[in-house]
Amino acid sequence: MNFSLVERLQGILAQAESVADTASKTYSLWERMLPPEDISSTGHLITWLFNYTTYVNLFWFALVCIGLFGFAFVYSHKRHKKAYYTHGNEKKHLLITAFIGLAVFLSVDMVITKVSSRDIREVIWNFPEDSDDLIKVQVYAQQWAWNFRYAGRDGEFNTDDDVVLLNDMVIPVGKKVMIQMTSKDVIHSFFLPNVRLKADAIPGRFAKLWFDTNKIGKYEIACAEMCGIHHYLMKAHLTVLSEEDYASWLNEQEEIAIATNDTENPDLRWGWAWGSK
Amino acid sequence: MAFVEQHIHDEPKTFWSKYIVSYDHKVIGKQFLWFGIFFLLVGGLMALMIRWALAFPGEPFPIIGGLMFPHTGGVIPPDTYAMLFTMHGTIMIFYAITPILIGAFGNFCIPLLIGARDMIFPTLNMLSFWFQMASGIILLVSLCLPLGAAAGGWTSYPTLSTTLGQQGLGQTLWTISLFLLGVSSTMGAVNYITTIITLRAPGMGYFKMPLTVWGLWLTSILNAIFIPVLGAGLLLLTCDRIFGTTFFLAGAAATSGKGDPILFQHVFWIFGHPEVYILILPAWGIVSDLLSFFARKPAFGYKMTALSLSAITILSTLVYGHHMYTTQMSPLLTQSFMTLTMLISIPSAIFFANWLGTLWKGSIRFTSPMLFAMGVVFVFGLGGLTGLYLASASVDLYLHDTYFVVGHFHYTMAASVLLGGFAGIYFWMPKMFGRLMNECLAKWHFWLTIIPLNGIFMGMMIMGYAGMHRRLYNPFIYEFMNKLIPINTFVTWCAIAMGLAQGLFIYNFIKTIFFSKKQPLASNNPWEVGTLEWQIPSPAPHYNYKEIPVVKCGPHEFGNPNLTTGRDFQYQTEELVD
Repeated sequence: MNFSLVERLQGILAQAESVADTASKTYSLWERMLPPEDISSTGHLITWLFNYTTYVNLFWFALVCIGLFGFAFVYSHKRHKKAYYTHGNEKKHLLITAFIGLAVFLSVDMVITKVSSRDIREVIWNFPEDSDDLIKVQVYAQQWAWNFRYAGRDGEFNTDDDVVLLNDMVIPVGKKVMIQMTSKDVIHSFFLPNVRLKADAIPGRFAKLWFDTNKIGKYEIACAEMCGIHHYLMKAHLTVLSEEDYASWLNEQEEIAIATNDTENPDLRWGWAWGSK
Repeated sequence: MAFVEQHIHDEPKTFWSKYIVSYDHKVIGKQFLWFGIFFLLVGGLMALMIRWALAFPGEPFPIIGGLMFPHTGGVIPPDTYAMLFTMHGTIMIFYAITPILIGAFGNFCIPLLIGARDMIFPTLNMLSFWFQMASGIILLVSLCLPLGAAAGGWTSYPTLSTTLGQQGLGQTLWTISLFLLGVSSTMGAVNYITTIITLRAPGMGYFKMPLTVWGLWLTSILNAIFIPVLGAGLLLLTCDRIFGTTFFLAGAAATSGKGDPILFQHVFWIFGHPEVYILILPAWGIVSDLLSFFARKPAFGYKMTALSLSAITILSTLVYGHHMYTTQMSPLLTQSFMTLTMLISIPSAIFFANWLGTLWKGSIRFTSPMLFAMGVVFVFGLGGLTGLYLASASVDLYLHDTYFVVGHFHYTMAASVLLGGFAGIYFWMPKMFGRLMNECLAKWHFWLTIIPLNGIFMGMMIMGYAGMHRRLYNPFIYEFMNKLIPINTFVTWCAIAMGLAQGLFIYNFIKTIFFSKKQPLASNNPWEVGTLEWQIPSPAPHYNYKEIPVVKCGPHEFGNPNLTTGRDFQYQTEELVD
């Protein structure tokens, strides 16, 4: 691979053009800046808090900019020859500073902390009760792949009829999904961009995650924690099916599992009894 | 306060004793400065390589690519990519920012600004530099190993950083070099703290110290307390790697023992979060001083600023858990860490208000140090405010480990610290090397740095919110990230522009030091500032002060209407005019 400089530049330009082509066809700049589509019932909480924080930040940063650029303009040496002599420790100055501190406390600490606390406690880490309606999946992360395990026909995990999938997760729309997760080797992080959630898969520990979806389609699951040189290849697919499609898919998979699971294969033996850890 | 007798020593005559094993705080400061600038360039080049790989995946790196990666025709391979971002982070934090902001300014400024002849422990000071040098050499050697340098990220979380994830000597050398660096930083910190407590000139109370000294002092306190914590973690990691212990090993792939990788995260962030403030506090101090110096106005609410910085220093030790929300600590811990983290917004708001209050009704001189100082106010405003997103646990579950985090921490501890460092270098240049740097070039340097800088880090935050996560060799294997290619390309071009702009600084810096011998030396006080160091000749003589000065007023006495001296400022040795 010995490119001359000219060839290389041509290559870059060609790439840039092709990128620009697909770009102008599909996305505006604004659309490029938006996060992936939210398909969960919980994602809007995070979006709301993100937006609120943005408005608060814009307000405070606007004040900083007005101060910084405004004073720089009005009080430049050219326009304002003589500085006003003050140490800023008079009572009125302290009051203004204290007022700013209080306003920050009320707009930032009181709101963001409170809302975020509530979301975490009542929704995101408020795990659903065990029930038949719950879709239970065990996730086993390894360098560099995601293993998924469904209980199979007997409803028990870590038995011979479990449905075990590599880099493929299938769930029904509208149902709550509960994940138990650990890692075989290094720390990974199970990232569902479309659900706005992630949880670390840590060797020796069990992580929990619940979410639901409201839109049928194909989505991506990423590893968000650096896990070695092929970290970037650790991608899995999330397929959201309608309830009927999911039932028939599961049925088919269970039959395949019963017919073809090699009970001697250690790779199928990574599971654990549900809730045992 | 000067209860320690300070003798005037003879100036060393030989090259060896003057420049190599020097006990003089000014020379050691310069050694740190050169060391830091060298590593800044190395780390900067690595940043450009990372950006190149992200914007043009599969394209050979221009000019030096073919030389460095002949087996791939100049394309950066994935293992090298992992090495690059690991070493970029390590080098920038520990080998560029730490030596420049803490090593160089700490050494150079503390004795001069408090009216002392040298540090209290000159030998320790010298050792501190040479430990850092040894550590730097070990780190550079690790880049040349057959299996490469450490590649587990600058955080080096186990089990990826144990032999389970990283074969070879690279990670071990990384651990050892950081341990040595910790030794060096601890020596420096102990020295700075003691010097500030014992060697302040008579009359200089804590609230008459320049805020630069306050920043360096608080930094040193954090350093002295928390670097040893990192040292402990690194020792355990070294044991895991070399002696087969299992402090951090767990999971099916670990064949023996049952440790806990999260233990390392706790230890690392107990150090790691204060570290962020260790890096930024000196820059905050410098900025607080420079804003007052060039607005020709006393620092607004000086005492409040100093106390706010102290409050942040204390809070910074209690918030480290916000780096670990996704590890699913107990919800109670998560909420506590979130609340404590958010509290930092209050002292931050107070000193920001004071910074702007300093500019209010000033008579602002837009010199190059002032431009850089105001740049810090701008970028730290952005960096600090974007921290609010990441501090709230629920939003962090989406943003954690995305480029939003990368953009945020570069704003706070890269952009702000870098600009603060430049401000300091331009400002103290005459006192360090005897001559002012070229103002025109310095201003060009400022504008050509800050504009692309914002392009880079704002672009990163946008990509992060759009879901692009960190440390990916090729993010575009994910479909949802394909739309981010143009933003990535834009960020890379900004990075290249900013990288090139640093050429202006290097040229200006080298020229002023080595190729301006014919030009006259700067006057004692080219900036017309009243702190102690501006009453002695430029460059500062070997013994600093022939007579130990007696301090009578604060460091920011500008624009007093009752002044009759014809100056608009007072030296700290003058009685405050009523």
